[in-house]
Amino acid sequence: MKHKNYSLFAILLCFSLAIMSLSCIREDVSGNTPQANFESLWRIIDEQYCFLDYKNEAYGLDWNEVYSRYSKRITSNMSDYNLFEVLSEMVNELRDGHVNLSSGYGTSQYREWFDAYPRNFSDSIQSNYLGKDYVITSGLTYQILENNIGYVYCSSFSDGIGDGNLDYMLKEMELCDGLIIDVRNNGGGNLTTAQKLAARFTNEKILVGYMSHKIGPGHNDFSTPEPVYIEPSNGIRWQKKAVVLANRRSYSSTNDFVNSMKNMPLVTIMGDKTGGGSGLPFSSEIPNGWSIRFSAAPMYDAEMNQIEFGIEPDVRIDMSEEDILRGKDTIIEEACTFLKKNQ
Amino acid sequence: MCRLYISVLLMLLVSCAGGLAQDSLSHDKFLVRSVMIGVGKSNVYDTYLSPLEYRGPELRFMHESMRMTRLMGGQVSAQRIVQVNASSTDNISKSAKSYAGMFNWTYALHYQYNVDDKLKILFGPMFDFNGGFIYNTRNSNNPAQAKVYGSIDVSAMAIYKLRIGGYPMTFRYQANLPFIGVTFSPEYGQSYYEIFSLGHGGKNVLFTSFHNAPSLRQMLTVDFPVGKVIMRAGYLCDIQQARVNNLKSHFYSHNFMIGFVRNFQMLIGKNKISLPAKVTPF
Repeated sequence: MKHKNYSLFAILLCFSLAIMSLSCIREDVSGNTPQANFESLWRIIDEQYCFLDYKNEAYGLDWNEVYSRYSKRITSNMSDYNLFEVLSEMVNELRDGHVNLSSGYGTSQYREWFDAYPRNFSDSIQSNYLGKDYVITSGLTYQILENNIGYVYCSSFSDGIGDGNLDYMLKEMELCDGLIIDVRNNGGGNLTTAQKLAARFTNEKILVGYMSHKIGPGHNDFSTPEPVYIEPSNGIRWQKKAVVLANRRSYSSTNDFVNSMKNMPLVTIMGDKTGGGSGLPFSSEIPNGWSIRFSAAPMYDAEMNQIEFGIEPDVRIDMSEEDILRGKDTIIEEACTFLKKNQ
Repeated sequence: MCRLYISVLLMLLVSCAGGLAQDSLSHDKFLVRSVMIGVGKSNVYDTYLSPLEYRGPELRFMHESMRMTRLMGGQVSAQRIVQVNASSTDNISKSAKSYAGMFNWTYALHYQYNVDDKLKILFGPMFDFNGGFIYNTRNSNNPAQAKVYGSIDVSAMAIYKLRIGGYPMTFRYQANLPFIGVTFSPEYGQSYYEIFSLGHGGKNVLFTSFHNAPSLRQMLTVDFPVGKVIMRAGYLCDIQQARVNNLKSHFYSHNFMIGFVRNFQMLIGKNKISLPAKVTPF
């Protein structure tokens, strides 16, 4: 009996030690050389970035070909600065404003999504409409224009918007003939804040899109897209016509806001195509400590179309040179005319 | 190996039966309690947050109580351990920090085999529950990972008493090996925004065993008297690992612990409004 228990204990100990020694779960990086950092960054994108297949279809992005092309530019004695330049260039191949490599030298950013398009916004011209007695409240700036159209400018969704602020703002606007929600140059922020604002424009639960995420490292390993709904707010809801103004710098959660508003029956989208950015960004890092942000979970519109490269407006308008010289905002003017006509 | 599994399952059944006969455990008996605090090193790794391991100091608190039960002819002891640990760790380039906190509760029933007057060998099942978090200060929509998992472990212990020059000391080695359990995990690229704000599900509760969560918690302690106090010093090696939903994670910690041990005699009905007249000093 004595012998048996000794054996049992010994077996248990050996068994546990064997399991531990055979199956240590450790990091999978190989040093901190330029090559190791390049490999690590390439692999993070390869395994976790969510638009590789879509971008292959959209503009022929081949991430393996990117590896071949850029690995030739990596040398063991290159400086950190040169490495940062090469890696920044590599991730810009993804054409995604949500992909940023950050180091002590700066943060890489793909800017073509707005630089290659008209600006379609001028804050100095906007001030002609806001006047001097406008109201600012938690991320919203608003004014009732001379033609009795309510004008609300939302510059960011990064700061939370309170329900009380929204109630008060909509109460102020209740006698207006229509409402303009201007999200031009709004680069995004919190999705929940954007959805909270959108919830003021529907009286019923409405399907606005779908969302999925990666379930594995394969380019095509995605979960089944699940529907995203906007529930009507319990606070004051807008019951008249509204126009949302967008431009190419309407990005990320603002893109999501425009997508939601496009499904509201009384809302019209005017201005330029949005900048896109429909991938929920995650963060990671490479061995030398530089961080990388990348799109990890794709969002789609209500018809399951990709909106990574932006959403077309219902009425496409650019600010005209003539109006700019006169201090007029063509897009606001057109929105006012539209609301007056359709009130 | 089969015999080991059968022994564990038998012990599990006995422990369930013990649950039905709770009053047999609450009879007067001796209870050994210890409180220890420890410092050590932690290595935290979770690919949901970063592909790199983070290292740094750790603080740990442990409360343990152990007593004999009347199960299996009085040969079974019950052990309950509560541990809390917190760590502050850095990546290798010191460019990012993460903070982790874990709570661990275990309850074990050990069959005690007295080899001789000096050596005891204990083994039996253990219920093991863990909850905590890792927070990475640099991340955007994946800033933190929740850690919630539980398991039924195989636990074994050896207790050895000896005297060196008439000075009594008690050595104890314990190893707990998770056998079967469940864990929470987001899917590979799933955000907590999807889980909690949108209510989207997925394979978030997963079965674990040796193949995907090979973990081991070991400790070595020594009890020694200092005046009228029994001190306890120890080394704890906590290895928690998982590979689920294509995400890899581990907590490795090594702690040196110090504390004291107290022996109690439990009194029946001590929580009653008044004690029997024979024993009350009032």
